[in-house]
Amino acid sequence: MIVGTSKPIHDAVAKATGRAVYAGDMVLPGMLHAAVLFSAIPHGIVTAIDTGKAMEVPGVHAVLHCFNTTDRLFNRYRFVKGMQVVDQECIFNKQVRYIGDRVACVVADTPGAAREAARLIDVTYEELPFTTDMGEAMAGKIDMIHPDGAVYGDFNVEIGDREKVARDAVETTTSSHLSRISHLAMEPHACVAAYDRDLGELTIWSPNQSVFGIRTSIGDLFELHYDRVRVIKTTMGGSFGSKQEWMLEPVAAAASMATGRPVRLVYSRGDTMVSTISRSPMDMTVTSKVTREGKLQSLDFDVTLDAGAYLGNSFDYACAPASKIFRCYSYPFAHYRARAVCTNSPVSGAFRGWSTPEIYIGIEHNLNMTARSIGMDPLEFRLMNVALPGDMDLRVGQPLGEIRTRECILLGRKSFGWDQRKAENEAFNRANPRYRRGIGIGCGGHVNGYFPRARDFAGVEMRMTESGSVIVGITLHDHGCGTVTAFKMMVAEAMELSMDEVNVREGDTAYTPFDVGCYASRTTYVLGRAAVDCAEKLKQRLREGIARLHDVDADSLEVTGGAIRSRNGGDLHYTYAQAAVAFINTLQIEPWVKHQFVNATNPGVTGSHFAHVEVDTYTGMVRILDYLAVHDIGQAINRGMCIAQIQGAVIMGSGAALSEHMHVNPQSGKPVSSLKDYHLLNAPLLPHIRVELVEDGGTEGPYGAKSIGEVCHVPVAPTIVGAVNDALGSDMCALPLYPDRIMELLAERRRSACN
Amino acid sequence: MQLKFTVNGRPRNLEVDADKRLLDILREDLGLTGTKEGCAEGECGACTILLDGAAVHSCLTVAAQLQGREVITIEGLEQAGELDTLQRAFVEETAIQCGYCTTGMIMSAKALLNENPHPTESEIRTALAGNICRCSGYTQIIRAVQRSANELEV
Repeated sequence: MIVGTSKPIHDAVAKATGRAVYAGDMVLPGMLHAAVLFSAIPHGIVTAIDTGKAMEVPGVHAVLHCFNTTDRLFNRYRFVKGMQVVDQECIFNKQVRYIGDRVACVVADTPGAAREAARLIDVTYEELPFTTDMGEAMAGKIDMIHPDGAVYGDFNVEIGDREKVARDAVETTTSSHLSRISHLAMEPHACVAAYDRDLGELTIWSPNQSVFGIRTSIGDLFELHYDRVRVIKTTMGGSFGSKQEWMLEPVAAAASMATGRPVRLVYSRGDTMVSTISRSPMDMTVTSKVTREGKLQSLDFDVTLDAGAYLGNSFDYACAPASKIFRCYSYPFAHYRARAVCTNSPVSGAFRGWSTPEIYIGIEHNLNMTARSIGMDPLEFRLMNVALPGDMDLRVGQPLGEIRTRECILLGRKSFGWDQRKAENEAFNRANPRYRRGIGIGCGGHVNGYFPRARDFAGVEMRMTESGSVIVGITLHDHGCGTVTAFKMMVAEAMELSMDEVNVREGDTAYTPFDVGCYASRTTYVLGRAAVDCAEKLKQRLREGIARLHDVDADSLEVTGGAIRSRNGGDLHYTYAQAAVAFINTLQIEPWVKHQFVNATNPGVTGSHFAHVEVDTYTGMVRILDYLAVHDIGQAINRGMCIAQIQGAVIMGSGAALSEHMHVNPQSGKPVSSLKDYHLLNAPLLPHIRVELVEDGGTEGPYGAKSIGEVCHVPVAPTIVGAVNDALGSDMCALPLYPDRIMELLAERRRSACN
Repeated sequence: MQLKFTVNGRPRNLEVDADKRLLDILREDLGLTGTKEGCAEGECGACTILLDGAAVHSCLTVAAQLQGREVITIEGLEQAGELDTLQRAFVEETAIQCGYCTTGMIMSAKALLNENPHPTESEIRTALAGNICRCSGYTQIIRAVQRSANELEV
């Protein structure tokens, strides 16, 4: 078996030697460099732009801005033609809506000249009222931000049966506030565009999650037929959602079309933090109803999301949790209301988990407080309420299949030592006036693709070469988490080849089949299934071909051990290489198949996490002493990479819980634009993160797999928050729980104690 | 200024501005793009190189500081086509995901092992405190450094 083992990612050696080429490393003949000038004010109208001084800088070829570039509107989030989105932004905006909005761009011989000239562009603004506060925006302060105002919603939906809610249920209301956070993919955003004037073809190289999505956006912006736009996915230095929206590609394309030269655009860390996308701040109120015995009856949500300056995906993002709230717990009724509000802040966008980690912060915090109020252990409370095989996702009316949250909790209880730690913490806390210890459990469920929503299909092409190896054409977008390797493993397994004999391509709109892109944790589950089915089809094609060649019944042959041979002791035997040569020379047909798979299942995929923390009541610092993540994964394809990805998600979610906050100054509208002011957890601050996998292999996914890359991020922040609240006996859920917030709580307690 | 220094064992003689960052000299003048820019302010460690054997941020080092000195970049670790033990350990221990932090991470680890061939886990974590990895939980990276240390011992 190859599936289930641990393999390095396909380009590990190139990355270890520095030879891997990222978009920002690319050099093309005649290539120029672009630098963008961003708005210095939070809201206003550009009335004039003087490019005189900028054009005098040696090496400058062009200055593009809102008065000389198309004012066609687009939505950075659109990844499929025909999607219902609101188009609000231009490549360069005349009405600037936040500090960081694109105003102009310089194209020059060197990056240095481009940046210097960009600083010399003289922009005259007419200022407009601004706010970074959702309340003020809802009160109408910046209704002029977009033609249809600043507020989108309410979205309001009731799911399930209100009549089934017990009349005497106990009601608990909690609120949570999430901060703006930055994806901080280590590779800042970059892309290269090259327009061939003679052929009328535009090629874009970028690290992105949907080559076909960019193709449609760019085609529409520049009125190009889509066949004339070629988008090639480059080595991606991390995304976490930040590279599934298009902010740079339109600029580089405009610059290349204006100059007729290839243009490279590389954002600095500050540019990337402020002027791409970030995870939206959110205010959530959650009300639960439970019976006195602890059976969950209903959840009621009210969510307000700060979209930032452009709506982008934010309305969909505010609505999306409605599709996630029945993917972990079983209860009869939910009421979900949400709205997205534009403010003069950086633009919000997709973040790993696409609203699921966010809503589970609200849910899990509420469940912890509910369990506390009815005097139940939070783990027992979850055991009583998690969805079981046979339960339905009420939102979509589909079964949750082999959902194994219960097994994850039971395994974690034992492996983490939940009951023992609880007792130990009590003793520790009695003996220590300064340090307080607590434990937390968090659960959460996600998806494996879009189903039952549309567009959840995938195409794959496979070619057998005359040396017996396989080329797989499939539109993958490897973020660096090993997608290509996972696909090599699955196809090698199906074909009984070694991984060296399988070549898997990534997205290139000129050569790989259509795919909507890497969204909704669909790659392994949907595209993986398509690839495995396609391999079976290729084996069948080989069998049929050889049968025709020898005029025997195809059923008398089998494909096994990397060869086509007679089933019952006959002497027909073709290696893959011999078969491919025979196809070409005798059958006159390439050993090639195309397969399209339409996904029709979406089993529950969940994780249960456990944390042990220690809070220093003198400083407000939180230390994570131990962490265990247990995942209901179906079947790990590349075990080592699944574990590494889960551990990475734990750090990311712990950062969201404890330290990460991209502050926007409410007085000036200026956002944090530096890692000096944005606090990530680093190696010395972290324990070894333990991971356990529950594998039943019982899904329709490839080899029984489910998704992992996003779901592992879902339970993290709530688990840490739960542990801190357990340590302090508090009910804090305004994230991050940085030391100031904890010290504020403790000071407040001291004040109350004195009065 | 006329800059004479050594990069990966090869003497270099360049005409550059005295305030040009080493990171740009490597990437733009010498085509050594294995060294990455992640933040340009010494916070992320992606641009780490060895300067006279010590791990240094090439984004915070300028030409004027380099006269006569010796720089080793990730491209200088491979010897006669053989990966350095650290590079091999990073590959085999699945310590590489998106790879953007990898080269800087390996250079920081290299400096550590040069100075302290038998680091404890805590010493490794401290040596890598200035290198941010956003994909992993550092576990595989630490394991790779430990494994290299063990291999060097043999």
